[in-house]
Amino acid sequence: MKKLKIAIYDFTDCEGCEVKLCSIKEKLVDLVESFDIVNWRLAQDACLDGPYDAAIIEGTPVTEHEVALLKELREKSALIIALGACASIAGIPGIMNRSERKKWYDKIYGKGYKPAGIDALPLSAYIKVDHMIHGCPIDEDELVRTLEELRAGKTPCYRGYSVCFECKQAGNPCRLLNKEICFGPITQGGCKAVCVSAGSPCYGCFGYREEGNIEGLVRILRGFATPAEIRAHLTMFFNQIPEYKAAFDNALKKKVVRKVKP
Amino acid sequence: MTKKKNLVMAQANSYIAKIEGHGSLKVDFKKKKVKLIVHEGERLFEGILCGRTLEEMQWITPRICGVCPIAHNLASLAAAEAALGITVTRTTGLLRRLMQIGQNTQSHVLHAVFLALPDYIGIDNITELHKADPKKFALALSLKETGDEIAMVVAGRNVHPTRSTVGGFHKVPTRGELLTLRDMIERAVPDARALAEFFAGLDYPKLDLDLEFLLQDGMRVKSSHGEDFALADYKEYIAEEVRGESTAKFGSLKGRPIMVGSLARLFFVADAANGKTDKEGSADVAALIGKINFKNPFHNNLAQAVEMFMELKDGVEVIDELLKEGVDDKLIKADKDAPLKGIGAIEAPRGGLYNEVHIRKDGTIKYANIITPTVQNLTSIEYTATALLKEHHGKSEEELSHLLEMLVRAYDPCITCSTH
Repeated sequence: MKKLKIAIYDFTDCEGCEVKLCSIKEKLVDLVESFDIVNWRLAQDACLDGPYDAAIIEGTPVTEHEVALLKELREKSALIIALGACASIAGIPGIMNRSERKKWYDKIYGKGYKPAGIDALPLSAYIKVDHMIHGCPIDEDELVRTLEELRAGKTPCYRGYSVCFECKQAGNPCRLLNKEICFGPITQGGCKAVCVSAGSPCYGCFGYREEGNIEGLVRILRGFATPAEIRAHLTMFFNQIPEYKAAFDNALKKKVVRKVKP
Repeated sequence: MTKKKNLVMAQANSYIAKIEGHGSLKVDFKKKKVKLIVHEGERLFEGILCGRTLEEMQWITPRICGVCPIAHNLASLAAAEAALGITVTRTTGLLRRLMQIGQNTQSHVLHAVFLALPDYIGIDNITELHKADPKKFALALSLKETGDEIAMVVAGRNVHPTRSTVGGFHKVPTRGELLTLRDMIERAVPDARALAEFFAGLDYPKLDLDLEFLLQDGMRVKSSHGEDFALADYKEYIAEEVRGESTAKFGSLKGRPIMVGSLARLFFVADAANGKTDKEGSADVAALIGKINFKNPFHNNLAQAVEMFMELKDGVEVIDELLKEGVDDKLIKADKDAPLKGIGAIEAPRGGLYNEVHIRKDGTIKYANIITPTVQNLTSIEYTATALLKEHHGKSEEELSHLLEMLVRAYDPCITCSTH
């Protein structure tokens, strides 16, 4: 079988998902040998022009140059795969709203600075994305699974369960029962519930489940958290996903019928 | 598509490969001038932090950089705890030191071996080392794994910590986990030594110039040229210059280029030892440090390899102390008379990192300032790059361009950190 031609790109971000890619150790060699990685700035000088069978893109397109490059990569690639939360949902950089940028440019760089950045949005705000490897950062096993599916000529798919499933398997006490905000029930699995297992909150960086019951979760959260607290939790990763925010807003508008007893 | 519009190739021809983030060099070979330009998009982290809770700061700042997230986490925790008047338990301090050791190991292997080493042995990328020198490749992977494992066991994950929190840890490692980790680190020490010796034998490009180093030392910061100031005055001494064409600020010590990171830290170790062996009488460390030329920035790569060896040796001792004392997992709460303003600083893999935070009474952040190590190194990169053009005159532009890229890589710049 012919090796797939892959380009790996990083836009504005922390590059932690590429670090994860380097952490797959021996599998990295398999990966490099089983694909034809023709373009990967972080790891090699060699760079070939497209067309590519797939472009794996990490990071948020923040500058005009990045947005233009993203569009060019779409034209040159059969598949676009978003790598990590910055690419898939804009994540942490997306906390900064476009309307606030000017104020912060002035404060951080001083008045008169000509910004390079315009906005921090996910890849899907500009182009069609074929698959998303979620997470901040991604999980190594999910990455390997996706790449193996790709190599086998399959369309990569998402896990059919939420973080709760893996959280229960890990034997964690339920955060919701402890009156702590948790997005586990409406978030795609695959992360192995790594944050909750360590005692940290789940902010939902693995992306939303298509059939997630937002209304039900908000009803439970309202039993112990204010709408402002719930919104703040949501904006950690989903500030730039308007549909998701709207679904939360709708659920938050509903009257709290009763306090949920743990 | 016309050739001019091909951004893929335009970027490949201008952006420096194998560094963390997006930067390019503008070289005037005739005038022997080099300009470093940073293209990373601004994320405006100081703005992102404002309005969020203090606990969220240590969650958000690691996302500045996935290569040194633990360093950002630790600096933010220190700033937050200073603002809340918290003194953590002794063993929390030891566990955080262990996180730092894991961080330095991860970051130094990734940089020195994965990104910089290909330059010195004439390969394009690290996976080619797998064929060229499988033993060295296995050694590098095993050291990376050790760094990752330390991070995993103590911080909860190899990238972006999950266990740490303001006041201590959500969860601490068990005695069994610490014992297993100790074995792993102990096994890695000879590997790290072998790697350091290998780096000591590499052929580094020649460069000989006066470098001023800067180091955090407890509540003070000192330079190799006699500057000595209180940590609290960091903003007065470490100047940041905004330049039109770069999205990162260029740092300096009141206008003078400074170098921070492994080479700087080992300069002070060498200076203190003054030719003698270190406190445990380990002649091997002293011998390795003796091979470092502190006037050649390329030797930063050697310094990283030597430091990794020193860090892992320390790791065993830190775990021994933890095992002896038993981990005190008490979470320390905010003081009633908290100052609501705090500075947190740490020597990150690439040098001194500064976090400052001011909070409102409700615990939300109203001011944040972050100065990263790479910001401080950017001015020095240009300074030494210009010196390189002079020292290597007579070489072709192609050779010089390659040497310049190598020099940038030797600094291990984290462009992502510099534009935060």
